[in-house]
Amino acid sequence: MAVTLPEGNLETRLSRYLEGFNNRHGIEDSLVEGDLVLVVVKPDDVPAVLTTAREALGILHLSFITVVDRQGSFELTYELLDLRGAQVRVRTTIEGEEPVIGSVTGIYPTANWHEREAYDMFGVAFKGHPDLRRLYMWQDHFDHHPLLKSFEISTRRTFEGLR
Amino acid sequence: MLSEERRTEGTALTQPASGRLANPDIRDEFGLETIDMNMGPQHPAMHGLLRLILELDGETVVRCDPVMGYLHRSKEKISENRMYPAVIPITDRIDYMNNMAMEYGYCLAVEKLLDVEIPPRADAIRALMNEFSRIMSHIPSLGFLLLELGAFTPILYAFRERERIQSIMEAVTGARMMFHYIRLGGVKADLPEGMPETMWEYIEGLESHLQPDFIDLIEGNEIFIARTRGVGKITPEKAVEMGLTGVPLRCTGVEFDVRKHYPYGWYKNLDFDVVTDQAGDVEASYRCRIGEVRQSIRMIKQILENLPEGEVMGDTGRRIRPTEGDGIARVESARGEYAVHVVSDGSDTPYRVHYRTPCTVNMQLLQEIVPGHYLPDIMPIMGLIDPVSGAWDK
Repeated sequence: MAVTLPEGNLETRLSRYLEGFNNRHGIEDSLVEGDLVLVVVKPDDVPAVLTTAREALGILHLSFITVVDRQGSFELTYELLDLRGAQVRVRTTIEGEEPVIGSVTGIYPTANWHEREAYDMFGVAFKGHPDLRRLYMWQDHFDHHPLLKSFEISTRRTFEGLR
Repeated sequence: MLSEERRTEGTALTQPASGRLANPDIRDEFGLETIDMNMGPQHPAMHGLLRLILELDGETVVRCDPVMGYLHRSKEKISENRMYPAVIPITDRIDYMNNMAMEYGYCLAVEKLLDVEIPPRADAIRALMNEFSRIMSHIPSLGFLLLELGAFTPILYAFRERERIQSIMEAVTGARMMFHYIRLGGVKADLPEGMPETMWEYIEGLESHLQPDFIDLIEGNEIFIARTRGVGKITPEKAVEMGLTGVPLRCTGVEFDVRKHYPYGWYKNLDFDVVTDQAGDVEASYRCRIGEVRQSIRMIKQILENLPEGEVMGDTGRRIRPTEGDGIARVESARGEYAVHVVSDGSDTPYRVHYRTPCTVNMQLLQEIVPGHYLPDIMPIMGLIDPVSGAWDK
């Protein structure tokens, strides 16, 4: 088989991944818990960190990208799997109302539609994306990014006062 | 709205026409051009609402640009406006062919943030119903593939099986499609009396007519082989690069199954094989699906043989308020890796829910592998990916 999947014990792999990130980049915070390695990095470092993950550490699969609107900042989570039991989570926070971050499509081609979705729903601009169009919403005459907390829906409900 | 300087290129409605011809040497003499064509959103053979913008050179596709969103129901926004247990029926409607896995993924993600112990019987029943749901999805998808190739008979057998499983599901859950059966902390209700025996009887029957009705009828058929062998060929490197999961990945020979490599719930106790194939084309995906149905039968038998006794619902408390933080869980749905990311701020409603549906990711493959194929080959390739409209559009 042409695809090389990682081998060996889960704990050694997790520590190898964490060490690999620590040696090459300035990691703000990190955590190892169960089958998970979580690293918190600066937004500018994200493409470099993911390049390390793909090229040096051999983590093959980008599962998804989640954007969370923290009202004033945006939290991005890149979930990577090595397909053999370990999860690697790269987290970053972009300050401000107009988020811009480097695209990772050159490293993980599957990120193409994940980034298009994030752009569509949150207006996150991915620098260097080859084809940054909306994925779900219509292209013309629609200037909103619906998953932002500032996008109000008419049937907003609160559950205060319920017991 | 993005300010002007933050807009990158690519704000056009579709990708620009490439204008490149499949056989430029021959075509140039006659001054031929490519033509653009829309396939869908309403197309009799399409698996739901999908529009493909195709650029054709004669009958050869040179560019394929999928346009999605015709069935977008903003599941993620709705989920932010509902209490935690009330999101479960929403997840049901994401992948309406394999609902049980959708509920399971969401419940696992929220349970990571809840302090609740799942009773073993509930875990076993969850896995049992998931495997039934997988059979209920895999067998009709084979039927659809054959229907699109012009064979009408297999879909009748496929829907016979689906109907029978739906009757079992109805007896257990009370609904035929939108089950709302897996709840936070367990399952809605225990199996009715006599149900394990009924399930066993059905599963034995399915095992005995899988060979005549699905394999003998289809596998040796000359038309089926001509239309599927070598069509939609994917290499393992390409498959991994594109982030494929599920059958499209396994039919290229890469062994990855969430149930095996990231085990959850009762799957830790089960003995099963990951079905792979080397060819990586439509025919290989058909063989993989049949193999997975066999593995599901094997798992259902194991679960029924050792069904633990006891409660089916853990104690979650009256008002469900998960602790602050992230809950990420993934399950193997019939189409691949389905992951749910729940962000909680400690209130009654989720702060953010993200669904990673396998269809959305696997559909990127269309852009990559359809160019170079003939127009009628698109339908078998859709059968390889086996997307569901509700799941790719969310």
